Amino acid sequence: MFKSLKSITLGAVAAVLMAGVAHADITVYTAGPQSLIDKMSEGFTKETGIKVNVFQATTGKVMARIEAEASNPVVDVLISASWDTASDFEKRGWLVKYSSPNAAKVPDFLKSDYAVAQGISALGIAWNTKSGTPKPSDWADLTKPEYKDMVNIPDPAQSGSSFELTAALAGQDDFKLFKDLQANGAIIAGANAEALNPVLQGAKAAVFGAVDYITLAAAKKGESVEVVFPASGTVIAPRPAMILNWSKNQDEAKKFIDYMLSDAGQKMVAAQMLMPARSDVAADRPLISDLKLLKFDNAAVYGKRKETLGEITKIFGGK
Amino acid sequence: MTIDSLKSNVAVSAAGLELHYGATPVLKGIDVALGQGKTLALLGPSGCGKTTLLRLVAGLLAPSKGSVSIAGQVVADAASGTFAPPEKRNLGMVFQDYALWPHMTVGGNVSFPLEMRGISRAEREKRTMHALERVGLSAYASRRPSDLSGGQQQRVAIARAIVAEPQLILFDEPLSNLDRELRENMVGELAELIASLGLTAIYVTHDHSEALTLADQVAVMRGGLIEQLATPDELVAQPSTPEVADFLRLGGIADLERRDACWVFRGGDVALMRADEARADNSRILIPVAAITPGDIQPDRLAATVLRSQFRGDGHLATVSLIGADQVELQVLSRHKLKPGDGVGLSIDFDQIRWFEKPFHSHP
Amino acid sequence: MAAKSVGGQAPAAWLAIAGLLLVVAVPFAAVVMQGIFPELGQGSFANPFSSFVTTLNDGALIGMAGNTILLGCCVVLASAVVAVPLGVFRALYRVPGAALFDVLLLVPFMIPPYIATLGWIMTLQPRGYLQQLLGFNLASFLFSLAGMTMVMAFNTFPVVYFAVSRTVEAVGARYADVGRVFGATPARAFWRITLPLSAPGLAASLMLVFAAAIEEYGTPAALGRRAGFQVLVTGIDLRISDWPIDLPGASIMSLLLVGLSLLTFLGQRWILSRRSYQTVNGKPTAKDKRPLGVMKWPVLAAFIIVSFLATGVPLLSILATAMSRTISGGLALDNMSFDNFLSVFQNSAGALGALANSFSLGIGTALITGLIGVTAAYTVVKTKIRGRLAIDSLTIIPNALPGIVVAVGLILAWNMPWLPATPYNTPFILLLAYCCILLPQTMRYSTAAFQQIGDNLEAAARVFGASGITAFRRILLPLVFPSLASAMLLVFALASRELVASVVIAPVGMQTIATFIWRQFEQGSIGLGMAMAFIAILITTLLPLLLLALLRRSGLVAE
Ligand SMILES: Nc1ncnc2c1ncn2[C@@H]1O[C@H](COP(=O)(O)OP(=O)(O)O)[C@@H](O)[C@H]1O
Ligand SMILES: [Mg+2]
Repeated sequence: MFKSLKSITLGAVAAVLMAGVAHADITVYTAGPQSLIDKMSEGFTKETGIKVNVFQATTGKVMARIEAEASNPVVDVLISASWDTASDFEKRGWLVKYSSPNAAKVPDFLKSDYAVAQGISALGIAWNTKSGTPKPSDWADLTKPEYKDMVNIPDPAQSGSSFELTAALAGQDDFKLFKDLQANGAIIAGANAEALNPVLQGAKAAVFGAVDYITLAAAKKGESVEVVFPASGTVIAPRPAMILNWSKNQDEAKKFIDYMLSDAGQKMVAAQMLMPARSDVAADRPLISDLKLLKFDNAAVYGKRKETLGEITKIFGGK
Repeated sequence: MTIDSLKSNVAVSAAGLELHYGATPVLKGIDVALGQGKTLALLGPSGCGKTTLLRLVAGLLAPSKGSVSIAGQVVADAASGTFAPPEKRNLGMVFQDYALWPHMTVGGNVSFPLEMRGISRAEREKRTMHALERVGLSAYASRRPSDLSGGQQQRVAIARAIVAEPQLILFDEPLSNLDRELRENMVGELAELIASLGLTAIYVTHDHSEALTLADQVAVMRGGLIEQLATPDELVAQPSTPEVADFLRLGGIADLERRDACWVFRGGDVALMRADEARADNSRILIPVAAITPGDIQPDRLAATVLRSQFRGDGHLATVSLIGADQVELQVLSRHKLKPGDGVGLSIDFDQIRWFEKPFHSHP
Repeated sequence: MAAKSVGGQAPAAWLAIAGLLLVVAVPFAAVVMQGIFPELGQGSFANPFSSFVTTLNDGALIGMAGNTILLGCCVVLASAVVAVPLGVFRALYRVPGAALFDVLLLVPFMIPPYIATLGWIMTLQPRGYLQQLLGFNLASFLFSLAGMTMVMAFNTFPVVYFAVSRTVEAVGARYADVGRVFGATPARAFWRITLPLSAPGLAASLMLVFAAAIEEYGTPAALGRRAGFQVLVTGIDLRISDWPIDLPGASIMSLLLVGLSLLTFLGQRWILSRRSYQTVNGKPTAKDKRPLGVMKWPVLAAFIIVSFLATGVPLLSILATAMSRTISGGLALDNMSFDNFLSVFQNSAGALGALANSFSLGIGTALITGLIGVTAAYTVVKTKIRGRLAIDSLTIIPNALPGIVVAVGLILAWNMPWLPATPYNTPFILLLAYCCILLPQTMRYSTAAFQQIGDNLEAAARVFGASGITAFRRILLPLVFPSLASAMLLVFALASRELVASVVIAPVGMQTIATFIWRQFEQGSIGLGMAMAFIAILITTLLPLLLLALLRRSGLVAE
């Protein structure tokens, strides 16, 4: 009976909803910008004739969907905003081994047997040039009185790269920097965009550890905001693309990875103000080679994730 | 007239009808039959199950036991599971709260039964106007029911019930929401309407005068049972139980004990009359209003005190208690106004006293 | 066993049951199962109940539950403080421009809470619009329990305002005047008669506010986190979006929320069933109302201030942001342009598609919830069939399920591999989600409407020859239609802006208004997002008003 009920109901609503779903050739879940994946799948379809269906959300929401779908997964290609996802999925045995011919120019640390970066973002200080504060040059500058109550920190619990930055910096001085920031009135302010918006309006002067490409894009649009890459070093967030082992369209999925790493695909990445994964593709922004990177032990950092986040919560106060 | 004599042209009948809400019985076995063109009144105090019986006939409830037939057709039978829904029973009904549909005009309400019977628009309009004329509301066809007075709404409900000339019309206390004057007028009009249209009707009421005025047969109900089913004349002349007599306000009820060859009011020392041998030692009687003539207090009269009195049209109806047996209350009709506390002497016509068959229970 | 009562109930009951099973029971069962069997997503029933211990032992849980209740109570209190006086004045006195204020106070319903919150942030934070205009800011107030309470109360108080003004109007006209006849002064008549008689309606509307407040996500997420104020819904969201994902934990916390909300609704039922005077059909007219006299200006000022705060501030802030070329440019004339609106109409980032999707989903949701709501309400109120209590409870549950949990439940239920056909990954899954979340609206309105219809109206139709279905169609449906229509319009407005479930469950490649806005915010294009929000608010406000006006003219809806 249940089945017939379902078909009746579906039939009834079919009249209301005209939008049907064309059969997708491959399905891509991405935590990257919508406009990037839109352009990339358009170009890919033009070149190969394979259609791409896209689901775009934050890393967290993408993961929630994959987790809920686990008994009957549909995603072929996943592009996460955190390399941690690739390591974790590889450990679970969910990934397909693939090295794209176009990945030859991708530096080794941006690829593994199972995943390859689409592009890279770095964290920096997003600073409002009209805020009346001096331009900061390093993380510790934000603990100075000029920045009293003027600093937002993206929530490390909500963003993989923010967590890595927090863990790396906290490891250097046992959270002293964060205690100083807190003493200077800095607050934890939601996910990346939520932390940046007040800086644009001028409510805050700077974001401590802003995702660079969003800020760079805003600056390009004319917002009075600038990205500063601190002298003492920062972290980068390579955005791994991977093929899931349950995919029934693995050949098409591989073609998508190839296209993503092609000249055309990498130029689209650069146009979003992200760093291209391939070292031979130019971009109108600082590249990895221009940045000083903080050194930390990835495994150890993620091993102590809960403790680190707990300490941060303790410092910045939660009820 | 007995039930058997009506069997030939029975319009509606119920046999062994019972209805239970959960474990609570509301109707405990109703047997009744009504002839074509006759009116049956269901009379009884509030809560005795009149509406329930009517809803069973209408098909708004299904019986727990027993069966209902309309025009020879079994429309509901608990044993066989037969059940015809209300719309298949060709009925008209007037509800206690009128149940006029507020979103339709008066005309729309009245023509609805015709519409449901698939009658053409032109015919519908003609018959609707005709029905409204009968109740004197032809000018109101395009009004909303909420714009009418209570009495007018009542007439609309009646027009709606008769418009399709159904084989049976059910009235559920149709006049109880009206004021007295209107009610008395409407009783007359209804009686006329029923007679002139030759309707078969079941009329539910708790007002004995309405029942006795309108009905060919009256079923007095109490606690889910029919206590007595009779014509109005029989009912007044021979109420079968003291309760029926009391409910019909036929007079005062009293218990008598035989003491030294005299009938004495129980719980007192007042003798009523010489005892005759044929009856049991304890008896319950009805002393009809008409059996008592009031006068001054004299030795051959029973002495009583007036408790209350009410003007009734043909005199003052007083309730009095006997001196020396003050739990006995009798009804007296007097041409003069009697004031509470007045003394009065009663002479009683013993022949009119009605003796009930069953003796009352002797002392506990 | 009840006596068999006979009516046209069977088709309605079956329709209601089928609809409720599909729309509510399926996702709810999936959530419960997920709570019990942590590995359900992988299709395994291993380790039942293991997540209960870890989730319920989490020390933060008590704090979150406490905060949830605290916030709910604060919002209830604030809504009452704002709405009750206004509602009473609206009901008993001739307030100038009353009809206009009714519309203005309806708009907060149409502003998505997360947008309203962002509007308040952009206005009150340092260098926000308030500071740009008047030189001071209220940031410390906004990012606190008080600020959260204010923003949420301005979003929900219309529920109380309309409930109070309707009840007091009916009661005041009928009974308070009787009190006057027996010697009560107007003030005493109000305190001794009008207020007690209106109390059940007031209490019921306050409980509705409470239920809405404990289930709200956007405002606590945006304002509360900064104040370190976690509530259950934000906790649930964190468990779902923080890797590793904890679906069982989120499910269990949702069940906690469901329990809290069910308690509220049982309380509401209890109050209403004890004695509701709302059914009194007083028909007060303007001439029954008293003139305000010396109170005219203060009362008018109160109406203007509240309308401005509830409707004006968020709308103006949204508009200002939408018209700014850059956020950092501020409220300068040369920073103003219609570029963002143009972008929407030029279909940038699929804006027009999102509008079309949301509006068709809104219409579909309104129709389906209307159908299920009216049949379920009929079954619950007008029939005696067994299991109607179960139907009643099923319609309450979605009140308490956070949107994100509904979404997860739907994925769990509809993405099982053995299903031969599934709405998952089609727009129908959004339709199911919206129907589940919004069903209580149509159910609530239709139930109230059915309760006002005497039983004999249907019985009369049956006796006069109408079949059960005809009686329903010709008699009952027209009588509940005005309530049903307003509920469906509300559903349309709410469905076309739903965010939380949409983000997780939207089929691949499909955008709605809310996901569009949210993506623009994520990418820093706040202006474009706000332009879209403004257009959506305009349409969802004007469309229903227009429809209502049309219906009224055609006589389908009475005043
Ligand atoms: N739905 C019901 N459930 C339980 N008891 C009922 C119901 N309807 C009526 N009753 C009971 O049945 C009895 C008869 O009711 P009714 O037929 O309405 O009386 P009346 O003679 O006044 O019309 C009453 O005692 C009433 O309480
Ligand atoms: Mg009755």
